[in-house]
Order: sequence, then structure tokens, then C-alpha cells
Amino acid sequence: MSFKEYDKKTYIADLARDFSARRISKRDFMKKVGLAGVGFSAFSAGLLGNTRPFRGTGLVGDAAFAQDAEMTKWLKDVSGPFKGQKIRYTSEATPPTVVLDKLKGEFTEATGIEVEIEIVPLEQVLAKATQDVQGQLGSYDLYYLDQSWVATFSQDTVDPVQYYKDKPDLAMPGFDFDDFSKPLVSGLAEYEGKWVGIPFDIPIFMLMYRQDVLEKHGIKVPTTPEEFTAAIKQITEAEKANGMYGTGLQAKSGHYSLECDWTQMVWNEGGSIFGSDKKFKGNDEAAIRGLQLYQEWVKYAPPESLNSTWDGQFQMMAAGQSAIVQSWDEFFPGLDADDSKVKGLWMPAKPLVGKALRPTSEVGFGEIPNYAHQGGSVLGLSKYSKNVDAAWLFMQWACSKDIMVRCTLGGGFAPMRLSAFNDERVKAKAVVGPGTTRHLDMVQWIIDNNMASEPDMPLWAGFSNNEIPVNLGKLLTGQDFGGDAKKCMDTVAAAIDAAVADAGL
Amino acid sequence: MIVFGLFPLVWAIIESLYKRNAATRKLTFDPAYNWTKAFYDDRIWNAVYNTLIYTGVALFFQLVLGMLIALLLDSDRKGYGVLRALMTLPLVIPPAVTAMMFLMMLNGSFGVIAQGIIALGLLPENFSILGSSNTALAGVLLAEVWQWTPFMVLIMLAGLRSLPKEPFEAAAIDGATPVQAFFKLTLPMMSKVIAIAVLIRGIDLLRAFDYVKVMTDSGPGTATETLSSYAGRIYFGGNPDAPYAATIALITLIIVIVTSSIFMKACKVRL
Repeated sequence: MSFKEYDKKTYIADLARDFSARRISKRDFMKKVGLAGVGFSAFSAGLLGNTRPFRGTGLVGDAAFAQDAEMTKWLKDVSGPFKGQKIRYTSEATPPTVVLDKLKGEFTEATGIEVEIEIVPLEQVLAKATQDVQGQLGSYDLYYLDQSWVATFSQDTVDPVQYYKDKPDLAMPGFDFDDFSKPLVSGLAEYEGKWVGIPFDIPIFMLMYRQDVLEKHGIKVPTTPEEFTAAIKQITEAEKANGMYGTGLQAKSGHYSLECDWTQMVWNEGGSIFGSDKKFKGNDEAAIRGLQLYQEWVKYAPPESLNSTWDGQFQMMAAGQSAIVQSWDEFFPGLDADDSKVKGLWMPAKPLVGKALRPTSEVGFGEIPNYAHQGGSVLGLSKYSKNVDAAWLFMQWACSKDIMVRCTLGGGFAPMRLSAFNDERVKAKAVVGPGTTRHLDMVQWIIDNNMASEPDMPLWAGFSNNEIPVNLGKLLTGQDFGGDAKKCMDTVAAAIDAAVADAGL
Repeated sequence: MIVFGLFPLVWAIIESLYKRNAATRKLTFDPAYNWTKAFYDDRIWNAVYNTLIYTGVALFFQLVLGMLIALLLDSDRKGYGVLRALMTLPLVIPPAVTAMMFLMMLNGSFGVIAQGIIALGLLPENFSILGSSNTALAGVLLAEVWQWTPFMVLIMLAGLRSLPKEPFEAAAIDGATPVQAFFKLTLPMMSKVIAIAVLIRGIDLLRAFDYVKVMTDSGPGTATETLSSYAGRIYFGGNPDAPYAATIALITLIIVIVTSSIFMKACKVRL
């Protein structure tokens, strides 16, 4: 191939050369480059996927997954006026969402309502929901709302309990709002007396440990932060040469995952994020002790922890790089997957119990200090939806008893409904294997006894995704503050207190 | 022009003149608020610094490597056509995918690049390149330089192939060495092409976002935060302060206009 022939195939080079030689105008140059850009962008769209550490079990289609006949009948009865409508929502690839995405065809078949679920990383879910409510666009009919955003979006959703009463003709028989775990409703779904959405999933902190590693080193399962620190130190010293560290962290700078780890450290030391005077307390003595302990833990975790969110933390556990981790219960089914190198080796345990908790009377903005950080989410019905009733039908279906059980069977995650926890099919899967539910008894106990919740306030989504994790990242990676936890949190306190005052809260 | 250029610009300017209440989402007209806030915001100055460093370093490596590779590929010998064609491959990979690839390759535990560097003894065992504030920007730049150096190569090749042969033949007769010919003939004659290439890439680099967002999300801390990624975090990070994000975007625009104007003036580039 001559250079001349080749050159014709190098589009951008041709354009640049022609433009520099003034053979084409600036307008033509920009137009052609723009066309090339569109082509490249379209190519990229199909190549991005999700990263959540969830592994499906292939149960969809099994007998246990058959849709309840009464549900199908009801859907057919009420959906007539909405046939042909299309509803959309965007969500992180949480276990229930992934299973629901597989099941949504049943809903469409019964109702004629199409459902599009966009599965993207959590920060993009926030970005898309933010954009939608800012412009009141109604591009999304439902919002997947992380617990830390519930207050922020409370003014953008329809109260499902009220809507259930207001629209009796569309109310699913036996939906039973009382079947939702009470701590979940108060800690997750409610803001200022309103249900912002229906509880949809409940990742919650649980201690997980490698039984074989602890036995090898004669370490008993830690129950306090001090025991945990000693255990991970011992394991790191003994196993680091073999590529194993005591723990693994989700300490990615600037990411919400780091903020989740931090809040737990604060609560464990008897601290809180806000005081009853609505001032930031992350820089008081208790909170600083917690952060200093976390700085210690970083030494006993793979260095890549500082660039890892929950995905990376799960990978550390699955790859045998860490031995004891306090993190999300929803990792568990993936660890027991058939292709897992650590299948059956991880065990669930109660979360670490630190110092006496700060009473809720001494904290602000509805924060609930406790030993198990919850990272649940709700499905919220958009106030701006153009297909609000079709979306309402889907929302009830997605959060119904039948679907909750089937999502649990399909993904092994913790259900929202008490009936799902007690379902015989769910209990029967409490064995080592893909989609195991063998951790769910522990999870239910934790929800009932140890569930903590972050503050409910409109600015929290920003603080928890920006000011706090960014400054924590500066501290942990040595970019600023010279390792001084107090200096770091004083900086955060100044920024947050100013923003709260500025917003008039 | 009105839809894609003027309207968004005017909208951003108007938006920047309002103050947003994060709790009530109400906007109040306060023309100086965001601009004053920006002036005293340390993160903006850090982002300006990072953006300029990112642009300068990336441009330097892309230009030098681009020219070197172009000189090596500037031949009609057999096989060189295939090599030139292969050079275009990185350009068709979406930046987000490139960023994901490098994110994995730079992972201290299993990444091939990180392991290579560690094996050479340049970094300690399991060192997290993207998790350290001292090395994260270099890690991101690696992806940027890998993907966009071929763009420079192609432009340089196009320029090299269009150079007249006579001056080089005359120089050879006069006994000029290849190095002398490069500095005395090639570079001066290629100056316009180089200027255009630097301008195009420079404007693009000043808006750096993709690699930073995917690989470090501006971290650790703010070690890789650029103006665009900071504006993105302000708008999409939970408290969508559109007026302040618009102000940061306008600051970026001002920097782009000022630096490219100075460059065009200095290099006598006319568009």
C-alpha cells in the first residue's frame, strides 16, 4: 500500500493536513471532525458495563420463580389504560435490581407496559437523578435513591403510602406496608413523616471472616474494634509475604464508600456526625479517635484499598487478599459462588461493638448512631413522571411480597420484607452455594439490633460524596494535613458548618 | 452556532450570576457571589494548577513521542504501511474504556504495568500508583499519552510527507547530518503543522475529564482534580450547585481562550 493510498484512510490526519495547508475551511474542518467524534462516541456507548460484585444464580425460569397467578391476574385487570406506555428508571447494579431486570419481562407481558432499567455506577445514578429533578424533566419515572439521598430528593417523589390510599383502583391487594421491617422504614424510607419511597434493598455492615485463616493463627472472631485491630495486625505480619492482609477497605478518596467506612468508625467510638445543635461533630474527640483507628487499619489492608470502592473490597475478599472485613452483607452470595476461590470459607458474624453509643437525643438531623452502617435504598415514584400510574403499578409489583422473595432467591441479598426473611424457599437456600442465604439470619438480627443511619438532611448527599470523602482522601493518601486527623476534620467541619448555616437549616 | 455555542454560553453566564440555596433550591440574584467564592476557593486554584500541569506534560510527551514515531514511520519500505495503520488503533478506543484498561493495569496487586514497575524496584511491593497522591497524576497521564500520541503521529506524518524533497537533497549535498537537517529544515518547515496539532490537543487537554473521572475520580484527595472534573463534582456530587458549576466552566473557557490566543499569537497561527 502506498502512502498516498494509506493516507486516504487516515481520516483525522487528512483533515488536519488539509486544514493546515488551507485546502479546507475551518468550518469544513470542524464539521468533519465533529462527524468523526459522533462515530467514536456511539462506539463507546455499548462498551460500558456495571461493576457491582453480584453474581446471578440462573434461577430465573425455575419453578420457584414462577409468577404468582393472582398477581398476574391483578396486573392484567388494572393495566388496561396504560398499555403501550414505557417507564424508565436508573439504578446501580444492586442484587435486587439485577434480578428485577431479569424478571421485568413478566410485568410487561401481563401489562403491556414496557420497562427500561438503566444500570450504571452509583455516582452516575445520582448524577442522572439530580439532572432529572433539577430540570423537573420526568425522564425517569422512578428513582433509585440511596439512603443518603433520601432527604435531598424527598420533595421530588410521591408518598407511596398516601398514593396507595388516594388511588384505591390501582392499589395492589395485600401489598401490606406493615410487612416492611420497621427499622428499615424509619431509618431508610421516611423523611419528616413522609415515605420518600419504598424500601428496596438493604446492604448493611456485617463482620465477615475467613474461618480457615483465623483457625490457622489461633485468632478468635473479633467482637470489638480493638480485637479487630490486633487480629488484622497479626494476620498481616504473618501472611503479607503470601499476599494476604488482615483486612480490606473501601477507602477510595472522594467516594461515598470511604465516607461509609468513616461514619462507622465515628459511631464505634461513641461519636456522631452531627450534634443536637446541628453542628458537625466529626472533629470531636470521639470522632478523631475513630479516624485515627481507621488510619491504623489502612496499614493492615492492601494498598489498593486507597483506590477501591466496594467493588475493589469485594475483589480483595474473593481473591484471598484479606481475612477479616467489616462491610456490606451483600458480598456474601458472591463469595459462595461456584467459581469463587473462597467458596464456603467466609463466615458471617455480628458487627464490631465499640464504645457506648451516643444517644439519639444528642445528635442532629435524624442520625442514628449504631454498630452497623446501612446503605439501603428506596424506589421513589417521581413527581415529574409523565406515566406516574404505570410507574406506580410497576413499583408495587417490584416491591411486592412475591417479587421480594424471588429477588432474594435469585440473588441471595437481604430482603426488605419480614415475610421474605421467613419464606421457606429462602430458608432452604441457607447453605454454601451460589445465591446463598446462609447469612440472612445474621443480617436480620443486625437490622433489628444494630442498624445505624446517616443524617437525614437535604445537603447530606453532597457532604457524603464530596466534602467528607475528598478530605479523608487527602489525609489517608498524604496529600494534605500531614497525617493529622484533627486538622483534616477541622477543615471539613468549617466547610460543613458554613454550608449548613448558609442553607438556613 | 446559536444552539450549540451561543445559547449554552449565555445561559452559563446568566446562571453564574445567581446564588443557589442548597436546601430550598431557590436561586437569588447575586452577581458577585459565585465569582468571589471561586476566587477564594482553594480547590479551584488546585484544579487550575492540575489542569495546566496535565496539559503541559501530556502535550510535551505527545508532541515529542509523536514526532519521534512519525520520523520512524516516515518510510515507503515494506511493512511500514501496516505499522502506520496500527497506529490508529488507540484512537478508536473510547477514552472511558482506555481509562478502565489502565485502571486495571496500574492496580498495585495485579496490574501488569504496576507489577512491571515494582519488579524493576522503582516502587515498593503492592504500591498503589493511583492511590498515592504523588503518583496518581502520572498514572492518569500514562493513559492520556498512550491514547493520543497516535493522533500526533498521524498529523506529523501527514506534515512530513508533504515536505518538498529539494531542500533535503541540497542539504545532503552540502554535507548536513540527519540531525542538522531535522533541526534546520524539518522543524522550521513543520512549524505550522506542529502549531495546529498543539492547538487542537491543547484545547482538548484543558478540558480533561474522562481519564480523571474513571481512573481516580479526581483523587486521591484532589491530587488529580482538573477544572472540568471539579465542575462535574460540584454539579453531580449530590448538591447540584449549577450556578457555581457554571462559574467553574466559564473559568475553564476563559483559560482556554486566553492560552490558545497567546499561543496563536506567539506561533503566528491564523484560523
